[in-house]
Amino acid sequence: MDSNNIMIQVKDLRKEFKKAVKEPGLKGSFKALFSPKYEVVKAVDGISFDVHRGEIIGFIGPNGAGKSTVIKMLTGILTPTSGECRIDGRIPTKNRKEYVKEIGVVFGQRTQLWWDLALRETYMVLKEIYEIPDDKYQARMTFLNEVLELDGFITSPVRTLSLGQRMRADIAAALLHDPKVLFLDEPTIGLDVVVKDSIRKAIQKISAESGTTVILTTHDLEDIELLCERIVMVDKGKKVFDGDLSELKRRFGQMRELNFELKNIDDSEKLCYKDDFNFSDDDLTLDIKGTSVNVRFNSDTVSVEDMLSYTLKRVHVKDINVKDADIEEIIRRLYLGGGMLSD
Amino acid sequence: MTKLIRIYKPFTRAGILEMITYRVNFLFFLLGEIMKCFVMFFVWKAVFDSSDSSTVYGFTYDNMVVYLFITFLSGYLTYSDGSYVIGKEILDGSIAMRMIKPVDFDMCFLFQELGTKIMQFLMIFLPITAGVEIYRWIVNGTPMLDFVMLLLFLFSMLLAYGINFFFNLSYGFLAFYLKNLWGTDIIKGVIVDFLSGATVPLAFMGVFGQVLSYLPFASLSYTPVMIYMGMYSFKEIVFYLGLQIVWLCVFVLISKLILRSAMKRLVVHGG
Amino acid sequence: MMKYLKLHTIFIKQDLKKLMEYKVDFLLGAVGFVLTQAVQILCLGIIFAAIPALCYTENGVVVDSWTFHEVLFIYGFSLIPKGIDHLLFDNLWGLGYWIVDKGDFDKYLTRPVNSWFYVLCEKFCVDAFGDLIVGIALIIYSLCAMPSDIAGAINWLRVIPVLVVMPFAIMIFTSIKTATAAISFWTKRSGHITHMCYMTNEFAKYPTKIYNTVVKTLITYILPFALTAYYPAIYILRGESFWSLPVTIFVSLTLFGISQLIWHRGISAYESAGS
Repeated sequence: MDSNNIMIQVKDLRKEFKKAVKEPGLKGSFKALFSPKYEVVKAVDGISFDVHRGEIIGFIGPNGAGKSTVIKMLTGILTPTSGECRIDGRIPTKNRKEYVKEIGVVFGQRTQLWWDLALRETYMVLKEIYEIPDDKYQARMTFLNEVLELDGFITSPVRTLSLGQRMRADIAAALLHDPKVLFLDEPTIGLDVVVKDSIRKAIQKISAESGTTVILTTHDLEDIELLCERIVMVDKGKKVFDGDLSELKRRFGQMRELNFELKNIDDSEKLCYKDDFNFSDDDLTLDIKGTSVNVRFNSDTVSVEDMLSYTLKRVHVKDINVKDADIEEIIRRLYLGGGMLSD
Repeated sequence: MTKLIRIYKPFTRAGILEMITYRVNFLFFLLGEIMKCFVMFFVWKAVFDSSDSSTVYGFTYDNMVVYLFITFLSGYLTYSDGSYVIGKEILDGSIAMRMIKPVDFDMCFLFQELGTKIMQFLMIFLPITAGVEIYRWIVNGTPMLDFVMLLLFLFSMLLAYGINFFFNLSYGFLAFYLKNLWGTDIIKGVIVDFLSGATVPLAFMGVFGQVLSYLPFASLSYTPVMIYMGMYSFKEIVFYLGLQIVWLCVFVLISKLILRSAMKRLVVHGG
Repeated sequence: MMKYLKLHTIFIKQDLKKLMEYKVDFLLGAVGFVLTQAVQILCLGIIFAAIPALCYTENGVVVDSWTFHEVLFIYGFSLIPKGIDHLLFDNLWGLGYWIVDKGDFDKYLTRPVNSWFYVLCEKFCVDAFGDLIVGIALIIYSLCAMPSDIAGAINWLRVIPVLVVMPFAIMIFTSIKTATAAISFWTKRSGHITHMCYMTNEFAKYPTKIYNTVVKTLITYILPFALTAYYPAIYILRGESFWSLPVTIFVSLTLFGISQLIWHRGISAYESAGS
């Protein structure tokens, strides 16, 4: 791959924190009073990846996996313990002021707008901070206005905005200076379906029209399916997957789902998948509610045909169907299974 | 009674834990606050050096030093945060979270604060009184500590804390009506400090000071300090302790009344 | 630099607008601050009613003394640099108390602006008008009420060097706040340390000579608040201690350098919050 085409380069990035350990209860507190103990937490433990110019990548992982820490190192907020990240050839913590002109950051959990300022004035402040020339500012505002529909609330103080409006306003604020890279940390958190949809469309449009590289962390799997060409998944500070969506499905998509209704409610005792096929705990979940049965199983261990014939032989059923694994299921398994699927 | 203790023990525990967690912050903060005592320590020294007589308004210099530090100590230990915390919860509505629990929330608050007070007592009572007593010993040539007075002082401080707590609780409930906490809290603090003799001993203020000594403010800090210093006769001690008890009852009653009328308002808000 | 001035102006305008919106709150806050000072001054008045002048003695011999009005002047003067710092650079308090602790410092690092300056200029603290009003009122009152022989001896040209040094005196406050607030980059919270150091300025309200050597050294050289109050004030009144003015510039610049060093070290140690 042409190295000019690489926007973000992360090499063996690590970040360690010192954390005080305290035994529970009053006694523990007294102990910690006299001899505080610390342990080193490896929040990010040797992660490497590249991102190409104009790519939209989804950066996912369970809570506490270290994804926010990576984002914060990429944005120059945290200094890495070791390793290196370069964005467009620059090191974030070196010459930070120049560097951050090239990036835009949105943290979904907290706004970066000024609480008491009217939205328009917030943008005026940012215009000063980023030293954006008047004509460029006008053009940019027109574009963002069109994409994010800010018109309805641009004169209101930020504190009076709804969550959806605030998020749109925050994204616009991060894009005002036309950054090369946009970091979005959970941009759809807590939003309703309609707003989520409009924000996703906006992100797509911005990426397409300005060629902005986008790094997105999210827990919303629809975000990933609709936006991301590529996924980087981290867990316990390590990278566990790097590839596109179809590869993720191909590699981890062995989970199938079997749904059916029993004709006779007592039949449920005849279904002993676990013992008869020797499933491990991870590979099988069985849900029986009255007459309706839901079996999720790993089709690498037992084929769909075997499962079907076993079921049909033992019990009388009506309405049987087999479902493909959806991304949500894959992720759930990855999260629960920890790093076991790493390559 | 045992039931009361069982229900509210966790709150006291939480208070203790909180104090342990923030012990360093607390001690630094305290060092900052005690700076004012040291400033006045030197100012009074210069004042006594400038005066022809060895007493000023009936206080000797070492009386003054003891007064400064013991006032600081009792002010700190009997201080209650209720007005601010409760007021804030009322204004941002989080008080509702306290209301839905099957406990009296003023009691929760009292027991939680008692936890922090126990820890503060352990951390500062000993060093400050020891410092003061050593100072008195050196100046007078003999130890001055009187255990009966010390016990009466502690009892009086306990009463002072109770008055302070219910006074601040009542004041905090006023947030339902006042809508401003920060400014009014500063104003309240200054006025209370002055009227309670925390800035200048009431004895310096002549007749006016005599009147003030009957007001509840004096019960907040002046009474225990004067007992500690041995400035009151036995009869006076009994009188002022009785007065403290009266004020305590008055403020318990007032806080209940304000709470009851405030509750009605809260329901209206919530509707 | 123009960029920073422009930014600061925007925020000042904004806070003034806010002040109009919350008139009552502002008024009550300012009244509170004025009242705090008023009670202390009342306390001074009560003290001085018992003595002719505040004396500093060595072995029973009066070495130096200050009249009530001189003490008031020093007290009032001490509020000016403190008040200006409070007015313009109050946001540093927030840093040590909650900004770093909650991880809110992130936003200051994602902007192409000097992070220290950005924190400083984001808030314009109108409560400081309480300090400034009392300070100016005390200076004016004490000068008017002073016996004419003392007031007449004042050479008003001395005000000029004091005004020159004033920005450096203000910077002493700002640097001490900066250095202690930056400790929070390591410890998450350091507001209490800032508080402890800041409270030392209480010593500066009174003639420095009345303190013992330890305190004198502390407030002249280590946390040099005396340079912001007593020394310049007594220079105006009596022409004494001219040496303190160049020392103020030197000490202030040194403190500024140290505080910037701590700040920049601190930023690389900053750990943000959450996962």
